[in-house]
Amino acid sequence: MSIATAHYAPRREASLLWHQIRYEQLSFWRNPQSAFFTFLFPVVLITIFGALFHGGGGSSYFYGLSALQYYVPTIAALSVLGACYSQLAIVLSMRRQDGILKRVRATPLPAWTYFLGLLAHCIMVSVVDVVLISGIGALFGMPLPTHWPALALALVLGAASFCALGVAVASLIRNAEAAPAVVQLVLFPLLFISGTYMPIHSDVLNRISGALPVRPFNQALLGPFAQHTGFDWNNLAVLAAWGAAGAFIAIRRFRWNPRPQ
Amino acid sequence: MRTRVTSAADMPTQTAIRAETPSASAVVVAGLRKSYGAMQAVRGVSFTVEHGEIFALLGPNGAGKTTILEILEGFRTRDAGRVDVLGADPGDRSEGRALRERIGLVLQDIAVEPYLTVRETIARNAGYYPAPRDVGEVIGLVGLTGQERKKVRSLSGGQKRRLDLALGLIGHPDLLFLDEPTTGFDPNARRDAWEVVRNLRGAGTTIMLTTHYMDEAQALADRVAVISDGQIVAEGTPATIGGRDHARARIHFTLPPGWTAADLPVAATPADGLVTVQTAEPTQTLHELTGWALAHGIVLGQLAVDRPSLEDIYLRLTEHGTPDPRPQRSTR
Repeated sequence: MSIATAHYAPRREASLLWHQIRYEQLSFWRNPQSAFFTFLFPVVLITIFGALFHGGGGSSYFYGLSALQYYVPTIAALSVLGACYSQLAIVLSMRRQDGILKRVRATPLPAWTYFLGLLAHCIMVSVVDVVLISGIGALFGMPLPTHWPALALALVLGAASFCALGVAVASLIRNAEAAPAVVQLVLFPLLFISGTYMPIHSDVLNRISGALPVRPFNQALLGPFAQHTGFDWNNLAVLAAWGAAGAFIAIRRFRWNPRPQ
Repeated sequence: MRTRVTSAADMPTQTAIRAETPSASAVVVAGLRKSYGAMQAVRGVSFTVEHGEIFALLGPNGAGKTTILEILEGFRTRDAGRVDVLGADPGDRSEGRALRERIGLVLQDIAVEPYLTVRETIARNAGYYPAPRDVGEVIGLVGLTGQERKKVRSLSGGQKRRLDLALGLIGHPDLLFLDEPTTGFDPNARRDAWEVVRNLRGAGTTIMLTTHYMDEAQALADRVAVISDGQIVAEGTPATIGGRDHARARIHFTLPPGWTAADLPVAATPADGLVTVQTAEPTQTLHELTGWALAHGIVLGQLAVDRPSLEDIYLRLTEHGTPDPRPQRSTR
């Protein structure tokens, strides 16, 4: 009567994953704080930029693009960072501290289903975010992106990589109170040197930030959004490498238990 | 059923015993040890939990109860010893999922997502199990009827504990672990919770709980193991544990002024204004005492006869620094 031989049908596994995604969505939309940080901040930001810059033509400061052509993709990238990296790092630290992760571990829900559910949930939220920001851009006269497959790939790969980095940071943080500070401490300078808030015209800085995760994501979205180019393989590869590094740390270091052994 | 050697500390004799009685018990623990740094939290603990019984691990805070339970639940690793839960090793990750489908857990800390409703929280966990109980049935079972649509964050502490219990039950477990299930409950809520636990046993669920309440062990458990300083110091039924059934009766009374314990016809010890006589033959001793009192024309005030309560036994067994090194076992 060995129970180790129990078999799980793929259909049951798929419906379990869908079940998990549905309840992640429900928890997310019910929590006013998560909705605020993932939607309100980037939406307000792009609205302000739109009001400031709409109607402007291309300039060399924005690499020949208009200001809005530049900001719609970088703020879209920012919103994905919020929905994936920041949100996951903070939510997972809090769930661990509150013992909710331990409670999940007490059920038969497989760890991979739990994390796949979170990933799928974060990608869905990212898509909503990007649609919102492109929509607001369109209100200010920005054309919608043209190269949909390149946009979709950059979005999914970026979301997955920043999810992995978010889980990695949650694995390294000890207490939940420190999580928002650590997340911002890492993110804020990175956003600046990566050109999210203003274009960077320093080759040295661009080379450094080009090897870090945020700038490659900005660039991979700038292509399909504004420059009408296709897949940006170099930047996608850097992004994927960071995602793999994050996943490695997450797998090695993630803890479910609020108190170490 | 596979025979598994889990550590070097596994005794050959234990393996042999196990092979003869496959899956006879719901839980088998033998020679379990766990240290945190230099602190030995569990020092060679052995016990079994039979199918269909309520087994209580009774002991003061810090005795090692939760550590043992968390090892059985698969949350902690062990340093040595054998652990078998429903025929599986909880330390073996590959069997974790199949095992977790058959066990239910109620942990000490309340841990529930604040923004879901009661029904949603239970329905979510129901989806994790292959054959869960009905969500409405569980809500009724734990006494949350009428609260189904309330957000978890607006529940009282006691209601959250009930919800926690509901999450432990929803998977229709064969074995339920309860870690101090009624800590912080008011007396009525405790009696309700006990009734739920008894009903579960009635439905065939095996239950292992930890508690530091004597009355809880007395009211619920079929068998009790008393743990102190990481060791089991006594094991038995609540009525017989620690030799309680064989313990000598105690006769208490007061003497009028001018009389002392030394004047009595039997050996006695004075304490707190009361005189106590311990005896194996209370009928005989009482006759001698009252005969003596009548002959001297005095009254034995506040006269009472009793036996040590479970609490007395517990306090004696867990008294720090004087644990009996050899477990006392009494027959069931």
